Amino acid sequence: MIEKRLTIKNKLGIHARPAGQLVKLASHYKSAIYISRNRTEVNAKSIMGVLMLEAGHGSEIVIRVDGEDEFSALAAIEELIDQRQFDEE
Amino acid sequence: MNADQAASGETRIKGVAVSQGIAIGSAFVFGSSLQDVRPREIPETEIENEIVKLDDAIDKAKSELTQLGEQTQQMLGERSAEIFEVHRLMLDDPELIGECLRRIRAERLNADWIFLQVLEKYEQTFSQFHDEYMRARIADVQDVKRRVIRHLQGSAKAPGDGLPGPAVVFSADLMPSETIHLRRDYVLGFATELGSRTSHAAILARSLKVPSVVGLGPVCQKLTTGDPVILDGYSGELIIHPDPETREKYVKSHDLYQALAQKLVRSCRLPARTKDGKDIELAANIEFFEEVQPALEDGAMGVGLYRTEYLFMMRDELPGEEDQYAEYVRILDALHGQPIIFRTFDLGGDKAQKHFHVHQEANPFLGYRGVRLYSASEEVFRRQLRAILRASVRGKVRILIPMISCVSEIRYCRRVFDAVREELRAAGIPFDEEIPFGAMIEVPSAAISADLIARECDFLSIGTNDLVQYTLAVDRSNRYVDDMYRAFSPAVLRLIRETVRFGHEEGVWVGMCGEMASDPLATMALIGLGLDEFSVSPVSLLVVKEIIRRVHFDECENLAERMLSYGTADEVEQYLGSVYRRKFRDLIIADPNHAYARRGRS
Repeated sequence: MIEKRLTIKNKLGIHARPAGQLVKLASHYKSAIYISRNRTEVNAKSIMGVLMLEAGHGSEIVIRVDGEDEFSALAAIEELIDQRQFDEE
Repeated sequence: MNADQAASGETRIKGVAVSQGIAIGSAFVFGSSLQDVRPREIPETEIENEIVKLDDAIDKAKSELTQLGEQTQQMLGERSAEIFEVHRLMLDDPELIGECLRRIRAERLNADWIFLQVLEKYEQTFSQFHDEYMRARIADVQDVKRRVIRHLQGSAKAPGDGLPGPAVVFSADLMPSETIHLRRDYVLGFATELGSRTSHAAILARSLKVPSVVGLGPVCQKLTTGDPVILDGYSGELIIHPDPETREKYVKSHDLYQALAQKLVRSCRLPARTKDGKDIELAANIEFFEEVQPALEDGAMGVGLYRTEYLFMMRDELPGEEDQYAEYVRILDALHGQPIIFRTFDLGGDKAQKHFHVHQEANPFLGYRGVRLYSASEEVFRRQLRAILRASVRGKVRILIPMISCVSEIRYCRRVFDAVREELRAAGIPFDEEIPFGAMIEVPSAAISADLIARECDFLSIGTNDLVQYTLAVDRSNRYVDDMYRAFSPAVLRLIRETVRFGHEEGVWVGMCGEMASDPLATMALIGLGLDEFSVSPVSLLVVKEIIRRVHFDECENLAERMLSYGTADEVEQYLGSVYRRKFRDLIIADPNHAYARRGRS
């Protein structure tokens, strides 16, 4: 199991579109993937869960990945959230 | 699909007009009533069944969302379409679906109630968000909720059932099986979120003469049953909560239209004969039994194109001989001896995949479709011919083979036809021995060699929709090139002229069942080219008849000749438009294709 702490940098946070991108990406991997914020942890393959985090701009989240492809899964998610910032401003 | 909230309070949404006319009344949103959802205990033996129902409803909702996404992407671009992807993901959400299934099993309550509870819990959570942008997700949850509930309830009823009175019916999309339940006297107008001019809902709305707009985008969620609406089947506009001034304007033009329709109806019993006495056979295109009666009421002399594919797409399995026979008899009886042209099944692309082992094709329009399916599935073709032949004693039947591109295809079909007739004779089953056998001319190779094909059959019928697309190499559903799809292109007109000439030289009559025959702008030109039969969409019957009755054959011939001297479709349309405006100014409001408004203006 691996973990990573990230900060949400895009202006609107994880609203509907980024949540969709994240869920679609997470669903490609076999590993169990969780995201937590303020002691709430949700399944990253559930769009309702991801939206319920209410992760706005500047919020801190922790990604937890557990499974055979955990390294590639975490790397891909980090790229989406941190480097690409969901392809938004 | 662009919604404008005017300062006044009315909301206008633009869709695609598919059936002319104006509907003014209150909305009936098909199967959308959340108040109807109540908890109901489900016996243990029925629990799994309840879960299947939920799965089905979710699948239907997801496929609608996929289509809405594609439609929106084409019209408004990728970003606008993304929200539908989010909705689809909600219905793929393992936590959400898991919770629904768990609760249905544990609480033994109905799927729609549990789904509602689960989704409302999410709404509750979202409503407590501080971030306004995040809070807006409630609307998405509500949209998804209503869409699925609509399908859960929809499985139990058809649109039109439970209509409290005349209303404008709204629905996401309609399958042919659902559309046929629409009651003409109760449905003032008809609007869908999905669909195009050629979708089933559109075709049916046109033939039932119900004003109709499709492709409105996600509108069912914005409306409540009972909301006052105006549906403009000319411009494709939907107006929700119209202002008094808007309403008044629409009432006025509605009255104008009604007055003209009444005037035209008066002459619909008269023959379709030119002033100098040339008779034209004017028939209707139909697909469903329900369309026969309205077409006859508007003066159709029978059916010039009966599309039989619907029987092949209604159910999961192919229709048996008896099912087809029963349907054909019903239609023939409704026609009371007027002739009908059965077009044998014309399937292609995804419609054929299910039954005919069609593989993914790079170019479905140049692939395995129409008559090309028959030899590999000869039993299906024979079964249809047997059903038609057996029914033929009840009326005046003609048979038309689709997508003929060469002589050997029509020869093959005739051989099978003769073999089936021999079988019936041997079995002592009566049928009409004089059934005319025809070829549809919709591929340029067939038009160019129409004399050779005419020698093999009793009549030709020109299908313009495919003929235009194959001649000009333009896929009209491709928005990058659709403006090049022009029925009035000189090349298409020449092929029509040649087909008619070849047919007449070989002593067979030539008709047209494509969309062009329904276009009032084309009527004089087609008479002038010598066309013997027009098979038109039922909504065009009155106006085409009126034009035929007002013209002389030789003036049509002159017009056709001059038309053929122009170099471009624009010039042809300008010329025809100028004649049309001069001769038929009073018919312009009844023109179903708005030929006057759209084209032929210099």
